[in-house]
Amino acid sequence: MTQTCTLGETMIAALARTIDDGTLVFHGFGSPLVQLAMHVAKRTHAPRMILIAGATYGVDPDPAFIAPTTNDWAMDRGALCSLGIEELFDLAAAGRMGRMFLSGLQIDRWGNCNVTALGFPNVTMKLPGGGGGGNLSCDAGAITLWTAAHRSTTDERGRRRFRLVDKCDFITNLGHRAEDGRARRELGHRGHGPQWLVTELGLFDFDDEGHMRLRAVYPDTSADEIMDNMGFAPRLAATIDTIPPPERRIVELIRKLDSLGVHNKELRAEDRRRVFPLAG
Amino acid sequence: MISPARPLYTDPDKRRSLDELGALVGDGAIVAVGGGLSSREPMALLRAMLRRGVKKLTVVGSAHGIDIDLLSAGGALSRSLESYVGFEQDFGMAPNYRRALESGAVEMNDSCCYTLVQQLRAAIQGLPFMPLRSMRGTSFPSLHPEYRRMICPFTGEELLLAPALEPDVALIHAQYADIKGNLVIQGPPVADLLFARASKSVLATVEEIVPTEELNKLGGAVVPYFYVTAVSETKMGAHPTACYPFYAYDRSHTAFYYEAARKGPEIFAAEYLEVFVYDPADHDAYLARIGGEATRARLAAWRDGGDQWRRLYADEAAR
Repeated sequence: MTQTCTLGETMIAALARTIDDGTLVFHGFGSPLVQLAMHVAKRTHAPRMILIAGATYGVDPDPAFIAPTTNDWAMDRGALCSLGIEELFDLAAAGRMGRMFLSGLQIDRWGNCNVTALGFPNVTMKLPGGGGGGNLSCDAGAITLWTAAHRSTTDERGRRRFRLVDKCDFITNLGHRAEDGRARRELGHRGHGPQWLVTELGLFDFDDEGHMRLRAVYPDTSADEIMDNMGFAPRLAATIDTIPPPERRIVELIRKLDSLGVHNKELRAEDRRRVFPLAG
Repeated sequence: MISPARPLYTDPDKRRSLDELGALVGDGAIVAVGGGLSSREPMALLRAMLRRGVKKLTVVGSAHGIDIDLLSAGGALSRSLESYVGFEQDFGMAPNYRRALESGAVEMNDSCCYTLVQQLRAAIQGLPFMPLRSMRGTSFPSLHPEYRRMICPFTGEELLLAPALEPDVALIHAQYADIKGNLVIQGPPVADLLFARASKSVLATVEEIVPTEELNKLGGAVVPYFYVTAVSETKMGAHPTACYPFYAYDRSHTAFYYEAARKGPEIFAAEYLEVFVYDPADHDAYLARIGGEATRARLAAWRDGGDQWRRLYADEAAR
């Protein structure tokens, strides 16, 4: 019987915990950790969640395995139907989407994300683009952010590159402060913005001002290490918890659903080796 | 007779060759490419356009990958309004698309899925614009001086207005059509129905042209003939993207593509463009080049059940 879980499985469980039962939840493309978290939530604590898959817009699909790309019939298997693109985004605009998962190659202290371009307006790196994130970050009731690349890297000129940055070069997905510095609530959007951020180093929420706040670490990370890998100082919760490991049944479910190990593609090699003891 | 403000297509036989379809896309056109990510992208038609040397296209779309990356490599684009162009976590960012936009050769006009939807809907309804609540507060308006803001006269809230977007042509690969151009799309339609209704013209490639009675048995037209300008039966016309139920996504071909693209424009031109786009004289020559019947059979094996399907993607998934 399995006695340990991986970092990826622990992240999936942490993402799944942000999903409320009875809500309509959507994921984008390129996000197997989130796909798995949604399927885990629906099969455990949130059976009445409305699961809408990114790219296929399939309603409550039941895939036999997670495919390496999102818009594949494998991901749409067992779905009641596929919504048209307009129906999915209308649901969000009308206030029916409870939660969306978003990420970025830059994420700032207010939870803004950049998936469009580094160096904008003098573009040094064109990023893939945010899909519908510019719309859904405004319209979805709540946002869970995630990244598996929080740990900073060093570029060829020896400069540290942060994923969690003081300020995004371009705001693709709106967080709690607009590009002109206005607070999100002044804009009158449907959604309340980022609520959680799950990274491979820790768990954050956003305080009353909308600023990122460290809430929990993994068994093998510390608040100091987390802060050393950020381009700004996060606020700190009164107590810093440890992210709990998933239950055994959840680990087994993830391994069954992701028999190809697709979610490992989101993780760096050193993070694929991180394992934690299971509870009990 | 009063001519309609927008064209209707009533030719009883719209069959054309693939290369004739490619010749209908003029330089400078605004092009909506159908399908998305690894599914049902009109790849054979895009290759035919590249062989003809099409230039200065503007592309619009939601979630795309190898289609827009290939057009970028072939020097066919001048502007991109795409919302996403990449190979997801599987391979990563789109190398040719990145190079084209970073060099300034292609103007970066990134959009967002719902903004695109609203702009297409305005065109479909013959209205000048559609409002959105979202996108305000992001950086997108700095890329789009054409957007406006208004205070809603009913509620007093601020809205963003995006102008109607009427593509010159939608390029769609579907499973079936009849000779009149009625199209059956099976599985997720993505934005294809909106593209068909909003565009001035629809060029369709399909796996099979069948009699209308058979088309009706297959569920009936989801795009009725009067939107469609011309149709070409092009088997495996979406390859290397999927066109279920005929064939799954050719992940190993895409891996080869990506590796060549990653190595730079010269190597990509020599190892991919020359071999798979310019040298094959036509689509039949392309099909022979990718392995002919053996490749078709390999990609059709997904039908044999879950394990065969999984195995198609298993070889490299854990790389």
